[in-house]
Amino acid sequence: MIPLALVTKNLGKHKLRFVLTVLSLSVAIFLLCVLRSLVVALNAGVADAAANRIIVQSKVSLFVQLPQSYGPRLALVEGVEALARWNWFGGYYQDPANFFAQFATDPEELFDVYPEIQVVEGSKADFLANRKACLLGVDTAAKYGIRVGDTMPIIGALYPTADGSAWDFTVAGLYESKRKSVDQNTLFFHYEYLEKSLESGFASGPGGVGIFVLKVAPGFDPVEVMSEVDALYENGPQAVQATSESEFQAQFVSMVGNVPLLVSSIGGGVMLAILLATLNTMLMSAREQTRDIGVLKALGFTDGSVSGVLFLQALVLAGCGGLLGMILATASAPGIAAAIGSMFPGYQVTRGTLLEAAGATALIGVLAGIAPAVRARAMTVIDALRAVR
Amino acid sequence: MALVPLSYNLRSLAVRWSATLLTVFGIGATVAVLAGVLALQQGFQTLFTESGRDDVIVFLRQGATNEGDSVFSLERSQILVKSLQEAATLADGTPLVAAEMYLAVRRFKRDGGETNVPIRGVTPRSFDIYGATVRVVEGRRLAQGVDEVIVGRKLVERIRDCRVGETLTLNTTPFKVVGIFDHDGPFASEIWGDRDRIAEALERPVLNRVVAILQPGTDLAGLKERLDADPQVPSKVLTEREYLTSQTAALSFVLRGLGFFLAVVMGTAAVFTATNTMLAALASRTYEIGILLALGYRPHAIFLSFLFEAFVLGIAGGAVGILLALPLNGVDTGAMNFQTFTEVAFAFRVTPEVLVTAAVFALILGLVGGTWPALRAAAMRPTEAMRRT
Repeated sequence: MIPLALVTKNLGKHKLRFVLTVLSLSVAIFLLCVLRSLVVALNAGVADAAANRIIVQSKVSLFVQLPQSYGPRLALVEGVEALARWNWFGGYYQDPANFFAQFATDPEELFDVYPEIQVVEGSKADFLANRKACLLGVDTAAKYGIRVGDTMPIIGALYPTADGSAWDFTVAGLYESKRKSVDQNTLFFHYEYLEKSLESGFASGPGGVGIFVLKVAPGFDPVEVMSEVDALYENGPQAVQATSESEFQAQFVSMVGNVPLLVSSIGGGVMLAILLATLNTMLMSAREQTRDIGVLKALGFTDGSVSGVLFLQALVLAGCGGLLGMILATASAPGIAAAIGSMFPGYQVTRGTLLEAAGATALIGVLAGIAPAVRARAMTVIDALRAVR
Repeated sequence: MALVPLSYNLRSLAVRWSATLLTVFGIGATVAVLAGVLALQQGFQTLFTESGRDDVIVFLRQGATNEGDSVFSLERSQILVKSLQEAATLADGTPLVAAEMYLAVRRFKRDGGETNVPIRGVTPRSFDIYGATVRVVEGRRLAQGVDEVIVGRKLVERIRDCRVGETLTLNTTPFKVVGIFDHDGPFASEIWGDRDRIAEALERPVLNRVVAILQPGTDLAGLKERLDADPQVPSKVLTEREYLTSQTAALSFVLRGLGFFLAVVMGTAAVFTATNTMLAALASRTYEIGILLALGYRPHAIFLSFLFEAFVLGIAGGAVGILLALPLNGVDTGAMNFQTFTEVAFAFRVTPEVLVTAAVFALILGLVGGTWPALRAAAMRPTEAMRRT
């Protein structure tokens, strides 16, 4: 039997040390949660991809456009229910540092293929009707304080206008996305507007379409549709690569480089530092409790319960720090998401992340508790009572 | 003013060796993580800035921030090339000007996954301009007008189909790999081919940048001004060094931001650990402090003595951190250049800047952690301190 009151009494004996150790632990666990959440955010698009969508892109390069004429042909492929064009615009708002994605697309096609895009402010009809209108993600709108009806000037870095002025889009509506497959940062505008502007000489830049997104009709196998699409343009003029939406998203994650390795290296360093700190505190407490150990043993407490007192102290210490760290990570998530949302859309601290953090906390507690516990178990009454502080 | 002998502190650190070691390694792990992230940033940055030459001039489309965005039609690039009367010439009078094509192409890594590899369409003048900085280390240089490529050394083992003798297919055209070349900068992560053959294979009749070497004594500022306002082909004029430096901005910003964030968060935890250790040291030496005060040492001498002890903890922690980070120097890694969305291979560089930052950081951790315990030590009264055991 372990005298539980002793566990809390001993921890409370040095309040300052307890508080400092708990704070260090919470900061470390908070950091682990943030790092892990970045990786989760990076992979969110992959995890939440729609199974019935196929992305058709150039086999050669992300930066090569496909001819417009591919669209009508792709629509004829058996099993294709609808199709949407996406064309990367690559502009920025006021300053190149204000980065978020803009795509030229056909609005009707977009709503057909992406039911998760829901207009929450303004009107869908206005967006459809007005050729110079745009639909803006709620996160970007909030970040720059943009409201429905505002004009959003975008400098076309990839599509510069002839006179160097900005493209002016009227914000017809704001959208929310019901799935992580589409983020809430994007600006969508009419493909037709882009096309006409290039034709009239208002602006210059690459023609064609970046990607075609195919919606597969129920009952058809996406894999078969993909191989049919690939075969269609095998001999050019532009070879295509059809992939599932999740593969397409995974491709971007792979391109960003080895972020998981970077994050786990940093996480390893954090774990080591905090383990040493906790162990330090535990060893200091244990040394101070040496006499207590002797007294307890003399009173007849078993070796197990005496070492249990120390072991439990480590667990409680780690538990307090870990819990506080997890609370910090959860509470700070909306703020962090707002700050880095354009690079890591969908940043959030998931239950899986919290479980991993709890695991790390338990590991630290156990490792920091073992040494003092073993020492207490092995100590004889005489040695313990004789110890000088 | 009489100072407490430094050996007193060193001995006391040695007596409490377990707490000393744990604190030193805790600070060390924190410092090593910071140094690692900074070494990553330095490696990336030096690759770009140190390989850039001041005598090679880069011309981009007005408003473009990188080669990928910069697009010149064939006609415009011809006008630009012809207008460069300032260009230096070869012995036979050929101007040292090359209009190059650049595209990030989709390639597969040997260990799985996709990445974007830059392909550069070059002319014989490109080799004249880059001169000895581009060295063919295996096979031979590519011939003009033939479907051949040479591959940067850093790609050979990472990307499929890049060994000499292998065939690399671009769109639908096979290109033979005839050589491997090396370069101290980002070229070593590129594939080079004959410009016109590559443009045809990719169905991409545009060029992306012009490079030139100018006659000695050319007024670069004047040239910048002239081309900036050029009515036919407005262009941005940069030295190669300026261009390459501008390419590192985004990733450097991200890595420095990450480093700063980690330093603050992990630093907080490390400071708390140092404080804990010093407080424990203080608690067990109250009696000794009383004696020191009774011997006539002034409170500020006691303060400095304890601060010195924390300072030693910081220095030792910094040394451990640097020793942990040093083996990273020269380790190859890769990261995304966010400007062109391509992957660049480079090595970690533990530069003097990294070492100084790490050392200063460690010292600050020690001193901040030691200040409060030192103040407490200095505030003691001799009688009180000697009475407390």
